[in-house]
Amino acid sequence: MCRQDSRVRLSAEEEMEAEESLSIYCKPVELYNILQRRAIRNPSFLQRCLRYKIQAKHKRRIQMTISLSATVNEVLKSQNLSPICIFLARLVSNVEYLAVYRFSRGCVLDSSAGVEGSTQIQAHFILPEINKLAPEAKSGSLAILLVSWVGVEIPLGTNLSKGSLDPNLLPSAGGGYCFWGKIPLESLYMSWENSPNFSLGQRAEIMTTVNMNSCFSKLSCLNEDKCISVQLPCNPETVTTLQQVQVTISAEEMGAKEKSPYNSYICSDIPSSSLSHIIRLRAGNVIFNYRYYNNKLQRTEVTEDFSCPFCLVKCASFKGLRCHLSSSHDLFNFEFWVTEEYQAVNVSVKTDTWRSEAVADGVDPKQQTFSFCSKPLRRRRPKNLVQNAKHVHPLVLESELPSGVCELQDKADDAHSSKGDKAYFSGVSSATPQSYADPDCVQSISGSNLAPSTMLAFAKTRKLSIERSDPRNCALLRKRQFFHSHRAQPMALEQVLSERDSEDEVDDDVADFEDRRMLDDFVDVTKDEKLMMHMWNSFVRKQRVLADGHIPWACEAFSRLHGPDLVHNSALIKCWRLFMIKLWNHGLLDARTMNNCNVFLEQCQSQDLCPKS
Amino acid sequence: MSGKFTIGSEPVMGLPTPSKKRDYRVTNRLQEGKRPLYAVVFNFIDSRHFNVFATVGGNRVTVYQCLEGGVIAVLQSYVDEDKDESFYTVTWACSIDGMPFVVAGGLNGILRVIDAGSEKIHKSFVGHGDSINEIRTQPLKPSLVVSASKDESVRIWNVHTGICILIFSGAGGHRNEVLSVDFHPSDIYRIASCGMDNTVKIWSMKEFWTYVEKSFTWTDLPSKFPTKYVQFPVFTASIHSNYVDCNRWLGDFILSKSVDNEIVLWEPKVKDQSPGEGSVDILQKYPVPDCDIWFIKFSCDFHYNAAAIGNREGKIFVWELQSSPPVLIARLTHAQSKSPIRQTAMSFDGSTILSCCEDGTIWRWDAVATS
Repeated sequence: MCRQDSRVRLSAEEEMEAEESLSIYCKPVELYNILQRRAIRNPSFLQRCLRYKIQAKHKRRIQMTISLSATVNEVLKSQNLSPICIFLARLVSNVEYLAVYRFSRGCVLDSSAGVEGSTQIQAHFILPEINKLAPEAKSGSLAILLVSWVGVEIPLGTNLSKGSLDPNLLPSAGGGYCFWGKIPLESLYMSWENSPNFSLGQRAEIMTTVNMNSCFSKLSCLNEDKCISVQLPCNPETVTTLQQVQVTISAEEMGAKEKSPYNSYICSDIPSSSLSHIIRLRAGNVIFNYRYYNNKLQRTEVTEDFSCPFCLVKCASFKGLRCHLSSSHDLFNFEFWVTEEYQAVNVSVKTDTWRSEAVADGVDPKQQTFSFCSKPLRRRRPKNLVQNAKHVHPLVLESELPSGVCELQDKADDAHSSKGDKAYFSGVSSATPQSYADPDCVQSISGSNLAPSTMLAFAKTRKLSIERSDPRNCALLRKRQFFHSHRAQPMALEQVLSERDSEDEVDDDVADFEDRRMLDDFVDVTKDEKLMMHMWNSFVRKQRVLADGHIPWACEAFSRLHGPDLVHNSALIKCWRLFMIKLWNHGLLDARTMNNCNVFLEQCQSQDLCPKS
Repeated sequence: MSGKFTIGSEPVMGLPTPSKKRDYRVTNRLQEGKRPLYAVVFNFIDSRHFNVFATVGGNRVTVYQCLEGGVIAVLQSYVDEDKDESFYTVTWACSIDGMPFVVAGGLNGILRVIDAGSEKIHKSFVGHGDSINEIRTQPLKPSLVVSASKDESVRIWNVHTGICILIFSGAGGHRNEVLSVDFHPSDIYRIASCGMDNTVKIWSMKEFWTYVEKSFTWTDLPSKFPTKYVQFPVFTASIHSNYVDCNRWLGDFILSKSVDNEIVLWEPKVKDQSPGEGSVDILQKYPVPDCDIWFIKFSCDFHYNAAAIGNREGKIFVWELQSSPPVLIARLTHAQSKSPIRQTAMSFDGSTILSCCEDGTIWRWDAVATS
């Protein structure tokens, strides 16, 4: 579908580069393909909204028009009768001679409502499409009622459908003599079904005469319940027939027209010479021009039905398409222009690298800076993994690595294979996990609160992003006085600008003190058990042991750290061993690590007994 | 806690008839502006200045001297440049080298340490989140002051180095404004605070005493000091059923008052091994009629022989503290003293009593020899 603009001649390598820069447009399409597959069963909310609108437009319905000759009303007026009101009503009850009909829409047929110069006055009703109408019509409960009241002036433009009717309009307690006529819908339905015009989608016209008989009727409109009750006189003889009214009913199927986009030129005359341009004349066609290779080249694509070229969603109108593109496809800049002949969109890539989603080869997007701003006014520095280096994150990576890679590979089968995708995988697999119990690591971490001595590999790449963001954030940090979160003491500028995360300044001394104090509250625990609990809590807090996966490392590190102290106190070491068994019971500690810990403790014990010089 | 007492443990009520052991007479009356004066304090820190006192009201801190013959001389006056500041409390402290400091705090939540010797502001302490209700000085270490604030915390500051050393608040802390706080006279680790949550809490800073000492020798920026916080008091007493707006240590006992027209003397029996447990033994009650609005504080003389308290009618009651049953020494009234008395100050030996009132007046009463 894309036609190439071959104004520029390119060499072979330039061609390759050009293709590469064009591929930036392909990436979103791949993503949306994946999403679309998922959305088959579970459509996303926004698309559902648009879809509903489009579906509603395409729903087939019947538009029924009822018209009378204009002279009818004049005749009625001369006889002190109101203009005819037409109701599409459903028979609710028919007891004795009292029939109650419920309606939702009523029209006052007034000559002024008609078009100037026309001899007809019309009322319009919308009915469900023919198949849906069938059971209703056949049941005989639907009918078109024509009512004209005696001695009542119905002013122009009275809306009989709205809520409560003006009680002054009709005789109080809603009752009055009137002349009424009925056209049962059943007969209409039969004639439509049999009409050849109607089934072809054309208009079907019926002319009938309706007898207007006298009766007593009451109109009541309570809330949503609008009823008209008609009381037939007991004695049929006393029925006076007003006249016979000539009614023309025409019906046409709506909505089906727009099903096929080709219908638009069935009716209009198009000279054959311009047939080649037909493709552009279709309402839903939009031309997309993609600029690539530093905006030197351009490729064109046409979509139908106002669909978006990336996610293939139908947008129902050009305006809708405009809104959709601006909001959903933030990667690109769009220019919209509409001419007599066509509607077009020029697409170009946004060059702001800050927000670039497309990554270059060999760069692992997981290792890139990710900016997140929760509140627009508060500036936060991008999350710096250097601080986190003191936590043993490689541990986490390793345990998740196998599953993570598998997931990504599954997706590769979904998406088109292109150069871009390879970048993801190579990035992940190249992150080398570090070994578990690194004694040096333990010592350095437990000792200090500040930047650790061991820097992990990807922490170095992060430094670049910090330098990049420095001027912008530095200026903001200098603007006002900052305070420590817990103490409310003013923060010195160097502290503000330092690398240290001052979000929740947990004071270890205080936390230790409080931990001990709260443990003291327990009455059913021995002193050694309390000490054990305190040591473990303190260790866990300082080392930020947060996940289940951290526990094996934590146990070994704890054993190594406190080993020499534990062996001095037999009760304490019993507590520790018991705790390890509990962890193993819960599946948090594996047997091998527990063995390692105990082996180490044994070594400490033997060293303790016969200390080496 | 109050209500049922076992036989023999009922608190002893004082009788409101004055014994006339000592009588006082008005010797001076000053009008310091129109704004209410919330605090008046004699300088008990420096023996050279025992007759010097300070008052605060509105955004002004004034230093006076009591002279012979009922004369009051104005020595210094300091005004905060923020017109909306309203000081609620003042105390005397001193630097390591003995320079007298006036420490005031109020609505803005900032403690102002004024060097009264050089008549300049020495330091301003920022940190409290709301207004400051009382500041007291540690007599054993006059560089330490403790402040009680509306932000439900109690903080200890070092006026010499400008460091906020400790914060007493948190899970076990006060649940409403802290109205009053006091250092224990001999146990340097202990403080008592009371507030709008109707409790009196006793705190210990023994655990973090090293930090208090460190604060004297800290050379780095004050904001880098590792301020510690204590979340759990040693003891919480619910003696009163309403706001407790003043408490003072009387040895190991506590004098505290609420808005129910009496001062209560009680003994906290704290179990050191199990903090949080403990009991209260109410010993005596000193009735003070018409003292049912909050933020009225009492004061004692240097040796805690007597306590003077005003009421909302402008009368002063002077109780003898170290006697049982309680003895009312004197009841001071004056026809023109009708305005609520926010705080009284007794001189070193109790011979002069000052009161500061809601209408901005300072009354000076001097003892007269009785037969």
